[in-house]
Amino acid sequence: MTIPQITLGPPASQPRVSRRTLLKGSVAAAVAIGAAALPSACSAAVKQSASGTPSGPFRKGRVIDCHAHLNHHSRATWEADDRKLIEAADKLGIDQLCCSTLTPRWPATADGFRECNHWTDDGMRRFPGRVLGYCYVNPGYGREALEEIHRYVGDHGFIGIKLYNEYTCTEPVVFPIVELAIELGVPILHHAGHSHYFVEDQPRMSDGGHLAELARRYPEAMLICAHICGGGDWEWTIKALRNTPSVLLDTSGSVTDEGTVEMAAAVVGVDRLVFGCDSSMTAGVGKIRAANLSTQDKQKILGENMTKLLGKRKA
Amino acid sequence: MIIDVNAYLGHFAFRRLRHNTAAAMLALMDSRKIDKAVVSSASAITYRNAQAGNEELAEEVRGHGDRLIPYAVINPFYAGWQDDLQICHEQFGMAGLRLYPKWHNYQLSSPCCRELVDAATERGMVISIPIRVEDNRQRSWLLNVPDVPLEEIVELVRAHPKARFILLNGIGYTGSPLGRKDNGLPSNYAVELSRLSAVLANELGQLITNLGAERLIFGTGMPFNYPDPALVKLEVLDAGEADKEKIRSQNAMTWLRL
Repeated sequence: MTIPQITLGPPASQPRVSRRTLLKGSVAAAVAIGAAALPSACSAAVKQSASGTPSGPFRKGRVIDCHAHLNHHSRATWEADDRKLIEAADKLGIDQLCCSTLTPRWPATADGFRECNHWTDDGMRRFPGRVLGYCYVNPGYGREALEEIHRYVGDHGFIGIKLYNEYTCTEPVVFPIVELAIELGVPILHHAGHSHYFVEDQPRMSDGGHLAELARRYPEAMLICAHICGGGDWEWTIKALRNTPSVLLDTSGSVTDEGTVEMAAAVVGVDRLVFGCDSSMTAGVGKIRAANLSTQDKQKILGENMTKLLGKRKA
Repeated sequence: MIIDVNAYLGHFAFRRLRHNTAAAMLALMDSRKIDKAVVSSASAITYRNAQAGNEELAEEVRGHGDRLIPYAVINPFYAGWQDDLQICHEQFGMAGLRLYPKWHNYQLSSPCCRELVDAATERGMVISIPIRVEDNRQRSWLLNVPDVPLEEIVELVRAHPKARFILLNGIGYTGSPLGRKDNGLPSNYAVELSRLSAVLANELGQLITNLGAERLIFGTGMPFNYPDPALVKLEVLDAGEADKEKIRSQNAMTWLRL
């Protein structure tokens, strides 16, 4: 069975790897090591998609990359690179990608994030049903940031808000953004990382501890701690978020340390894990495929948890 | 057949490793249909006397020589390394080395290191160099060990054309002479794929074009890393089955002289 052909763009020169093929070895693997079956969540997604286009915007069984990016248009190859992202998703059995477009330099200006959101909106049209948009803002722009969220989440159907490192998430300037996200019923994907040294080029970067503090202030907010495998001390991050049930942990990032997903599942529970790649595509898929978790748990991580989150959007 | 040139046994000082005994590693390999793996001691990375790690490894792989291929970790600035090299090669049957110049605090260009490379080459041993052990951003507060700069590797391979090098856990080769076509360097090094991209930038595909599929080798980084990300790379790589088979096992058999 091939990947559902609901994408645009030219066909790959090689036959695409089907999700079923991709996962077959893993199921054998799980049996061999006495683990629960590996990611037939993807197989479920294949079954759902076999008829062609998805049956609805938030159908069951989808594989959703909760952390993806479209390319800034200052990049000469942005259009081809965006297409490569969709082709990679096709090869890896990813149905939908929750994308933001970020400015190449920070802090983002209001004009800068407006341009980015316009391009994300354009990406949703270029890849209908595949790209879901996050509205990226710099909270320092206050009213302009809130207007941008109203425009793109309220009017253009973006699924959430993306915050980067302009401010630590516990700074009061961020609170109106969180309150608006609560009002709209959408998640905030927040850049985060924890290193045991001062990260000079990101002095206001948030970490799991900051997100836990924000969650205690706004327990009704739907927060996603970005890329626990993004290079910081993931054990620290997972432990920092143990007691904040409203914070989900995004598994994306280039780090493929063995045991990460299992520890996160054991400490915070699988209901709080959401699959992501953040452009590290084979790392993102491979670590979920490898994790010693049940099929049901993997289904939750690969798409069900994110689907549930997106279903909380208020009209 | 799949041969993994980048695996480890033992403990790592800064993180708990699972699947790090011979029995557990073999079970993990079975589960992924990986037939053979080159293993070295993870403990030797941070032991002052790396030879103690080699001794532990030799004990651990005993009886599993058909599948676990032990490599020695040698620090050429530590007393008695020549004896250690001889013991590892002649008594323990270790057919190759892993070098950790940044963890063991020496320069690849130093005379001691050059002497070790020559001695290993004289013995026909493969010299593998992990560019990193783990992502530097998650480092302990106790230390800051940088990745091995690719420029230092360039000089090393140039200076030792008869040596055979396998570069592990690296990335960014296409931005270095190491990954460029007609780079004027000897063809005495192969590149392991565990950190290379197979989609988007597709560095793996670029290296096949620039260097030839013969210079790419499969590896996972187990048990530091999950094996599946590396396996997935091969599955989605836009390359012919003949090239994939070279990368999966044939090149390793040639380079390791199996």
